[in-house]
This record gives sequence, structure tokens and C-alpha cells, in this order.
Amino acid sequence: MTTGASEPLLALTDVNTFYGQAQVHFDLSINVGRGHIVCLLGGNASGKSTTMKIILGLMKPRSGEVSFDGASLIGLTTPQIVRRGIASVPEARRLFADMSVRENILMGAFVRNDREAVAQDLDKMLTLFPKLGQRLSQRAGSLSGGEQQMVAMARALMSRPRLIVMDEPTMGLSPLYVDRVLELIRTINQEGVSVFMVEQNASLALEIAHEAYVLQTGRIVLSGSARTLKDDPRVRDAYLGGSEAA
Amino acid sequence: MSSWLDYTINGLIVGNVYALVAVGLALIFGVSRLINFAQGSIYLVGAYIGWVAVVQLHTPLPLTIIFVAVVAALVGLIIERFGLRPLQNSVRIAPLLATIGISFVLDQLVMLTFSPNPRALPSQLPDVRFEVGGGTIGPLDLLIAGVGISSALLLFVFLRYTKLGWAVRAASQDRDAAMQMGVDVNRVNQTVFGLAAALGGVSGLLVGMYYNQIDTAMSLQATLKGVVAEVVGGAGNVPGAVIGSMLLGLVESYGVAVFGTSYRNLFAFLLLIVVLVLRPNGLFASARQAPPEPLTGTFIAPSRPVRIPRWALVVAVALFAVLPLLPVSFYVLQTLINAWLLGMLALSLTLVAGTIGQVSLGHAALLAIGAYTSALLSLTLNVPVGLAIVAGGLMSAALGTILISPSFRLRGHYVSIATLAIGEIVSLVILNWESVTRGPIGISGIPPLSLFGYDLVDPRTVYWFAFAVMVVLALVQGRLLGSHLGRSFRAIRDDDIAARAYGLSLNRYKSLAFIFGGFAAGVSGGIAAHLYSYINHETFNTQQSILALTVVILGGLGNVVGAIVGAVALVGIPEMFRIAAEYRILIYGIVLLLLVRFRPQGLLGTI
Ligand SMILES: Nc1ncnc2c1ncn2[C@@H]1O[C@H](COP(=O)(O)OP(=O)(O)OP(=O)(O)O)[C@@H](O)[C@H]1O
Ligand SMILES: [Mg+2]
Repeated sequence: MTTGASEPLLALTDVNTFYGQAQVHFDLSINVGRGHIVCLLGGNASGKSTTMKIILGLMKPRSGEVSFDGASLIGLTTPQIVRRGIASVPEARRLFADMSVRENILMGAFVRNDREAVAQDLDKMLTLFPKLGQRLSQRAGSLSGGEQQMVAMARALMSRPRLIVMDEPTMGLSPLYVDRVLELIRTINQEGVSVFMVEQNASLALEIAHEAYVLQTGRIVLSGSARTLKDDPRVRDAYLGGSEAA
Repeated sequence: MSSWLDYTINGLIVGNVYALVAVGLALIFGVSRLINFAQGSIYLVGAYIGWVAVVQLHTPLPLTIIFVAVVAALVGLIIERFGLRPLQNSVRIAPLLATIGISFVLDQLVMLTFSPNPRALPSQLPDVRFEVGGGTIGPLDLLIAGVGISSALLLFVFLRYTKLGWAVRAASQDRDAAMQMGVDVNRVNQTVFGLAAALGGVSGLLVGMYYNQIDTAMSLQATLKGVVAEVVGGAGNVPGAVIGSMLLGLVESYGVAVFGTSYRNLFAFLLLIVVLVLRPNGLFASARQAPPEPLTGTFIAPSRPVRIPRWALVVAVALFAVLPLLPVSFYVLQTLINAWLLGMLALSLTLVAGTIGQVSLGHAALLAIGAYTSALLSLTLNVPVGLAIVAGGLMSAALGTILISPSFRLRGHYVSIATLAIGEIVSLVILNWESVTRGPIGISGIPPLSLFGYDLVDPRTVYWFAFAVMVVLALVQGRLLGSHLGRSFRAIRDDDIAARAYGLSLNRYKSLAFIFGGFAAGVSGGIAAHLYSYINHETFNTQQSILALTVVILGGLGNVVGAIVGAVALVGIPEMFRIAAEYRILIYGIVLLLLVRFRPQGLLGTI
């Protein structure tokens, strides 16, 4: 494997994960290239969120390697991994419901100590997510789903990450918000942040992704550039046909 | 007669003291979803450290307070680091049990160091009282109010304006999400344990000064009061804990004003049960959902139970049955009789806590109900003792199930709190219902065991009787576990939501478990009453409940043979080594801690 720019920012290699006796990942290998948006597609219970937990160190794989920027993440705690430059937008947002919107966003900068720059970044978030300006002192739990998604994204950006991982960022949003979120992901990416996102909604995700992987009951069954996968009938068969039919 | 204003002032002052304990509990619950049963022990430590400071070191008051806060905080940090952090990935009940073990150890260490006799703790303040309206208030009242209010303010500033305070709040709202922001949850845990301990320790100091007396019984009382206040305010809700504490202080104070001092605790626990049943999330948590408590499925340490061949069991039973025919001392028989009685209680608890997953901390109450029923029937109505014991079992089954039934919809730690409170209520009712139970005097002259007109006074016959009853109960329970009913019990324990989805009626099955368990425990209590010939409201206390819990965990939760092996081990081994009584509780606490840490599935494995 070559080093430098061509080396992936994040690499999962032959990861096997278990919940007790039940195996969730079978030799999972995923690469996220620098500056790319990479999407992991899969139906319910295929092991997508568990992949997030592995990357963030919330769970340990039984075997396999996870490396970020060439260094292994195995054995690091979640806070240590966050300090390496990975931020997350968790499944169902997971805001701190009883804290204000401002506090939530600032919690994203928890690992930083440069107060002034943090204050500037907060202002920047308000230009990126203008709607949040009027909501700053509101309880985060009282926001609508779409607004919460904005807060979660702003929160993740506040740590100035090199990689953002997102678990189903469009879940439960109205079509209008879905477009906004996708547009924002593209904007974030254009500013140099790599993105790894999990999605059930393949057609939407493939609109913005560079590469994609299709996960089926813990195994990668398809992978490639988003453009080729979009037209690949097997995406429909392997996965879209299943859960999208409903 | 004091005026109502005096009772109000007293209620608020006591409320301040409770608040210092309850706020710590709320902080800890918020961050780690744990009810810290060692909080009262830290309060106890605080009181005794304060005594050392005041009486031996003659420190001035401000220094005393700081000294107590620092030492207590250190104790809290040690508990977190060595008692609880190693349990982070164990079953959900493990940390709770560990805090119980820690509290036993701490209480006993204090008792061994300072003796159980009460000590005076002078307040170092002038003993004057000022007239306010129709009541009076003294400098100590003002001090307590001042410490309470300034602690609340400091805590507010900490939580609202410091980075670590934000981390505490974030972690208590969503632990995983906080970790994903880079919050080091261990550090947060350390912080809240240190803070909670400092507040708890100072609270113990102030209480000691308020009543000018400290003793080792303070510990459990403080934990219970703190838990009541915290649950009333909504578990994990810090401002709620303060309000809950004031409410509790006032309810108690007015209750005492109307009914008398011995009713103080009764009001506290009734308040708790009412809140648990009607508003399990506390008085102020209407809009918020239940605090996440991922208990189902992971409540019991999964394990492969040790298979004991049937012939080995038969041989063991036969050996124990012929034991009295061998030249063994009276002392050995006596010890084993106690083991069989504890074994019956353990059978009951292993069914309730292990098989159906309702970890009861008040099981001794079932003993008490059986004992009082049997004693009173035989003594006042001349019911034959054998029949009276059966009646005691039935009464325990019925009353125990009725008392616990409002709490059937609770889960996890809340069941433990509710059972603990019900246990206390039973003991308080016994204390206060003098016309029936003879109140604090207790019942003496209970007729000895007898069966079909024959007195069982010879230790060998008593031994056989107790052993036979226990074996029969064990056989029935073993049968039960193998049946469809047993499987339904375990299904409810492992996942009550799924069990409900399959159409199992939780209430019915929980009732059945408590009926069977109540009967076994009641019979044990009944036999004990006739054996001891004297019982009072303290004969069957929380220590016994916890001992029974240690026994069933030692044997393996849900494991019938394990319950009996555990009882023999925990009663027998201290006897074998002639360990003095005051060290025994210490040893039980240590055993519980070691088990939780290193062998949560017990000796014979959970079933
Ligand atoms: N904490 C857990 N304990 C045991 N099993 C779990 C746990 N979390 C997830 N699983 C199981 O692991 C498998 C994968 O779950 P995961 O959450 O990764 O799926 P997912 O692809 O994110 O699904 P969804 O689209 O519903 O979010 C599922 O079968 C699930 O039941
Ligand atoms: Mg998921």
C-alpha cells in the first residue's frame, strides 16, 4: 500500500464484530479516501450502526484493524479517537435534550481549548445554519427533527474534524430538509472534511457520494464508485428491492 | 409544645441535610444510572471524621467543614476508582450490589474503629436561640441553611459555567453522545463521586451537630432518606432532589408533630412508595420520558450452571440427614439449623431475584411477617405451632405479594428501592402497631416448636425438622423451575417487553413468584420465631435481607442448590473460623464485593 495522499484517511480491514454470540460483521473492509464522501448502504439490522460504533471506539471488534490517517484506532477510547479528528452525527441525532442549542453546539468543541477561535466557529455555524440563530437559547429537545439535525451537524463541525461520520442523517426528515441536509453535507465536504455516512436511502445517498459500499447482514456485497453503483441493477436487487419496497 | 413554625423550620433544616445527600445521589444517578447505596456510609464517615476533627484535633468550624469535605471526597474517589470503575462492562445490577457491599464494609470499619456506641458531636456554635415569629431559630440552623444554600449555588455555577460541569450535564443526558464529543466519562464519574461524597460527608457532620449525637446506624437511614428525596424529585434531577428533600423534611416534621417521633420514617417510606407507584419518574418529570435503564436481558450474569448429578445430591441430602446421629457437637447442629433457615430465605430470594429478576432488598420483611403471624397465633389463639408456621407462610405469601404488587410495573433498580422501602415499612408498622405486635417491647415467651403435639426441643429433632422443610421447599422449587411456569419466569426476567408481547401477563407471574417465595420465607421466619422464643421489630432487619442477597449471589442467582450451598457457606465458614460477630458483616460485605467483581454468576452458576 502506498502512503501519503493516496492512502485512505480511514480504513477498516477484515473487521469481525460480535454481540455476545451473534456475529454482526464478517470480514468487513471499508476505505474512506481523503476528501471523499463515502456511503455505507444497507437495510435494517445489516450492521450499519455497529460500524459506526467500531469506528468511534464505542465497541471493540473481535478481530480486524481500524486505522485513521495511518495510525491504528484499536485500543483507543472514544474521547481519544475524537481528539484524533473524527466527529460524529449519531443515529437519531442524540442531542443533549435539556441543554440549550448554544450549549449543544459548543459541546462539539469540547476537545478544543482555543476559546476565541471556538467563538468564531460558532458564528460560522450560524451562517451555515442560519435558522439556528434565533434558537440559540432554546432547549435542544424542543426543536423539530430537521432543526435537531442541523444542530447535530453544527455540533460535529465544531471540533474541526478531518472526518465526520453520520448515521442516517436524513432519517425522519421531510423532503425539503432531506435536500438541505444533503446540500450541507456536500458543502462541508467541499471545505475539506471527509464524510462517511450510513444510509438506507440509497438513491439519495448516491447523489452526493463518491464511493459506496452495500452491506447485507454484515457482509459487503457490492462496492465501487457511486456513479457506477447508481446504475447497477444489483444495488436494486441486493438491497433497494428489499427495504425500499415498503 | 413547639409551634407549627418550629416544625416548619425543623422540616426545612432537616430537608437541607437530606438535600446534601440527595443531590449527590442525583448527580451520580444522572451520570451512571446508579443508585449509590454507599452514599449513607460516606455520610457516616463524614460524621466521624468531623468528630475526630472537633473533639480530638479541636479544629475551628470552617476548617472542620473543609476537612470533612476533603476526606469524604477522597473516600468517594476511592469508591469510584476501585469499587465501581472495574464493573463498567458488567451486568447492570453489579454496580448497585457493589455499592451495597461497599456500604457494609465502610459501616463496619467505622464501627470497628469507633465502637458502635453513640458519641456526642458538639456543634462548636453558641447555644442561643432567636425568636422568629412564633418559633425559634439557632446559629446551627442558620449554618445548615447556609451550607445548603451555598452548596446549591456552587453546584449551579459549576454545572452551568465550567467545562467539567458541562461534561457532567452532557454525560448525564446522553453518555454515549457525550463520549462522542470527547468527554472522558471516567473523569466525569470521578468528579460526581468526589462531589457527592464531599456533600454527603458534610451532611453527616451537620446532622451529627444538629442532634449532638452520631452512631453507626445513621448510615442506612441516610441512604434511605437520600434515595427517597431523590426519587421524589425525579432520579437524576438535581434541582428535583433539592425540592424532594425539602418536601421530605416537611412531611416528616409535620408527621412527627401529629403522630409522634416513631412515625418519622414511616412517612418517608410511604411518600416514596406513593411516588414510585404514581409518578415513577418523580414529581417534576411529567413531560420527560423515563430515564433510560437498559436492564432487560443483561440483568443476570449469563453462565452455564454447574451440573450436579442427581446421585450426588441424594448422597449430600442423606449425609446431612444422618449427621445428627454422628457424634457432632450441639454447636454444629445449631449452626446448621441457622443455615437451613437462611437456606429457606435464600430459596425464596433466588426465585424472586434470580429466576424472575426482581432484586429484592427487603426480603427480611417476609421473615418478619411469617414470624409475627406464627408467634401471635400460637401465643394468643393457641393455634398448634405446626399449623401456625404454615399460617405464617401463607400470611407472608399473601401480605408480601399484596404489598409489593403496586410496584410490579417498576423495573430494575426501582424494584430494589421499592422492596427496600416496603421492608422498612413492615418493620415500622410492627414497631408502631402496638395493640397487635406489642410494639417496641417485642413478643416474648413464644412456645417452642412442636408437631402433632410433640415438642421439638431436642436440637436433633429441630435440625431434622428444619432440614426436612427446606428440602421439601427446594424440591418443589426445583420442579417449578423445570416446568412451563419456570420458563415463563425466566422469559420475563430476560426481556419483560418481549414476554409481554408473547402474551405473558407480567403481574400474574410476578404474583406467583412472590406467593411461592413469600411462603418459603414466611415459613423460615415462623420456625425462627419459635426457635428464638423472643422477637421484636429489629429481629429481621435489612442486614439479613442483604445477607440473603449475598447468599443467593454466592450460590448463583436462580440456582436452587446454589442457594442452599451459599447459605451453608456463609453461615458455616465464619463459624468454622470462629470469626467474631462484629467482623462477620464486614466479611459478608467483602464477599459480596469480590463476587460481584470476579464471579457474578456465583459458585454454581446462574440459571
Ligand atoms: N446492543 C446490542 N446488543 C445486541 N445486539 C445488538 C445490539 N445492537 C445491535 N444489535 C444487533 O446487531 C445487528 C446489527 O445492528 P445495527 O444497529 O448495526 O443495524 P443497522 O444496520 O444500524 O440497523 P438500522 O437500519 O435498523 O439502524 C442487529 O441484528 C441488531 O439486532
Ligand atoms: Mg442503525
